[in-house]
Amino acid sequence: MRFIADFIGALREAGLPISPAESLDALNAVSLVGLERRETAKTVLALTLVKRQEDRGVFDTLFGLYFAGLKQPNEPNAKQGNEQKPTDQTNHPQGAQALSKNAQANTEEAQRSDASFGAQASASSALGQSLSQQEDMGLAITQAASAENLSSIVLFTQKNQFVYKIMQRLGDEELREELKSQNQNQTQTLEQSTLLSDLEKRRAQLFEQVTDYVEQQYLIFAKQKGLRFRDQHMQQVKLNQLEQADYQRMQRLVQKAARKLAAQHSHRRLTRKRGVLDVRKTIAANAAFDGALFHTRWKATRVERPKIVVICDVSGSVSRVARFLLLFLYSLQDVIPKVRSFVFASQMIEVTELLQQQQIESALETIMQRWGGMSTDYGKALAGFGSQSLTKLDKKTTVIMLGDARNNQGDGRTDIWQKVYRQSKRVLWLNPEQRSSWDTGDSIMSEYSPWCSSVEPCRNLKDIEGIFSRILKYS
Amino acid sequence: MIIKHQDKIASAQVIQRQFEALGYICSQSVATAIYLACHLQKPILIEGPPGVGKTELAKITAAYLNAPLIRMQCYEGLDESKALYEWKYGKQLLYTQVLKEQLGDVLRGARGLEESIARLHDFGDIFYSQDFLEPRPLLQALQSEEGAVLLVDEIDKADQEFEAFLLELLSDYQVSIPEIGTVKAKSTPIVMLTSNNTRELGDALKRRCLHLYIPFPDTELENRILAAQVDDLGVLLREQIAQLVTRLRELPLKKSPAVSETIDWARALLLLNVDELDAHWVKETLNLLLKFQEDIDLVEPEITTLLKGLA
Repeated sequence: MRFIADFIGALREAGLPISPAESLDALNAVSLVGLERRETAKTVLALTLVKRQEDRGVFDTLFGLYFAGLKQPNEPNAKQGNEQKPTDQTNHPQGAQALSKNAQANTEEAQRSDASFGAQASASSALGQSLSQQEDMGLAITQAASAENLSSIVLFTQKNQFVYKIMQRLGDEELREELKSQNQNQTQTLEQSTLLSDLEKRRAQLFEQVTDYVEQQYLIFAKQKGLRFRDQHMQQVKLNQLEQADYQRMQRLVQKAARKLAAQHSHRRLTRKRGVLDVRKTIAANAAFDGALFHTRWKATRVERPKIVVICDVSGSVSRVARFLLLFLYSLQDVIPKVRSFVFASQMIEVTELLQQQQIESALETIMQRWGGMSTDYGKALAGFGSQSLTKLDKKTTVIMLGDARNNQGDGRTDIWQKVYRQSKRVLWLNPEQRSSWDTGDSIMSEYSPWCSSVEPCRNLKDIEGIFSRILKYS
Repeated sequence: MIIKHQDKIASAQVIQRQFEALGYICSQSVATAIYLACHLQKPILIEGPPGVGKTELAKITAAYLNAPLIRMQCYEGLDESKALYEWKYGKQLLYTQVLKEQLGDVLRGARGLEESIARLHDFGDIFYSQDFLEPRPLLQALQSEEGAVLLVDEIDKADQEFEAFLLELLSDYQVSIPEIGTVKAKSTPIVMLTSNNTRELGDALKRRCLHLYIPFPDTELENRILAAQVDDLGVLLREQIAQLVTRLRELPLKKSPAVSETIDWARALLLLNVDELDAHWVKETLNLLLKFQEDIDLVEPEITTLLKGLA
């Protein structure tokens, strides 16, 4: 059962939220069906441990890695393994078997070479004895590894260190001493010299076995940790400094964050105007009781879902942030269905339809290619917005503007922005630059900011998430 | 749950075979889930795209175990008075009327207010008691003497509060009624919850359940389902239908055809005396398989390519 616990530990490292109760369920289920058949075991563990379909992939990979190390089909059962446990001299009475395939092959090879090996000579060190008796070292390795806390491995640079430590714990030092002293001993018999070379060969095999084991454990435990570390880092990295290579990963993160928000806000919220009785409904509800009022019915107001108009500057400096903002917004479609999107550099262009028709990723690509990277003219763009869509703003609309307000010395047409502010419910200006660089150079942020409900810096994924969380909460 | 024939749930393989005999073809993981649910007394949360037989699984399980199926359809605004229990207000009213008439007899000869109240106390108070309780699906399932299969359908459609309300039932098979106390299950029911994933369910709920995901079946499984569900369907046609539907599911459709739709389509083709799929018939009957005009527009020009290389 021990290795089920280990496996659960590995799953947790990979980010699956597994509670103790679920672990118990898994153990109960496994004891019910046994582990004899790998497919059954996999199904049972998946049923009890994997509660989100997204996690299934991780589970499959880890299951493959973890159970590749187990012998098939005779002794996959941990209990069985304990019964068959050889009389080992390493003084660790408990433990499960985990033996890499490679190591298994090694042992077999060793057994074959054993045929020609005379049993008279014997090694003196404990490890030497175990090795020359063909003992199954897999168990001992597992135990040594858990004593050295191998599952805490994080970086690949730690691998060699762990290999060394495990070898030490297995008694490698003694063995080496013995080998050295035997080597110096000139008066050795033929038997002793075969023993010596044999031991050396076995030691090399053991070393390989330990290395394999550490590698396997590294794959199971550390890779996920590393990825998670990277994810955390990426959430805080400035979006406009993101490498092209990280786009894919970032997009996935954006969608994940958006899904989280969507899940939080997906149920339609009803607030009750407490104290306002709906007389008609109350009478209807109580007609069956001869008019005696058992149930009261109260008037309710429905919280409207936010209507959003988003305007993105897609000129060179802002385009990357715009990309992720739009991606985030469209990943939220479950909870914010009514979004109209505009992009501009010098012309204001509505891209709502384009974004709806195509896959979001490819649509963003098209937008950035067609309109991105041109120089900005806020005046012209706002004039365009004014004539196109000003009439469509109403008191339920939240307007989000993403831009650095760097206008290349032109007229900012703040009069139009003022109208936008007057007509809509709320105006949010997101600036991808930090506060200290607003109003420096050609930035005219302070001309627009009086006509915004709030102006916020928007530099990384965390910022975007926070902004939308607030929009959803207070709309 | 009292299962009269323990051999019916002896192993997952038995369940799988027996379900097959009843006309429900399922994968090994589905059978294992049912097996575990019976033995561990755990609810199953079934997820998957619409039309893969989630509800059907509950029905077939009930039929197989000879247990009554109690079904509760969830929707927004569902509350405990519709899910758990309701007082029989009308009868309660009548009871007070009767009580009023009998009050004279009860209080006759009593001296002073204190004695009257003491007598009233001795008089059985059944205003809030089992007699006036109208059990709704959840309570019915708990009160069922020999156990039942409780199907909580489309739990994702209910509010989050309702989900929280289910937790006590799912983990301890009991519910609390404020006026009466805790009602324990007479015999643990087998609980199945289905979800179409329109919203993410809470972790607390998921933790208490086994989680079964039923995906679209692969070609081979679908073929067997068709064989079980649609009689007299030619082997060739069956093979072709299964393959074509699998190919359709690979396209970026708004709604992929589900198993139930495949079955409907197969029945329609049978009725039209089609022996072999060709572009004409597929085009004519495509609306049985695809439910959105956009999807039909997308697939129609591709029909010949899709049909190429079918068995």
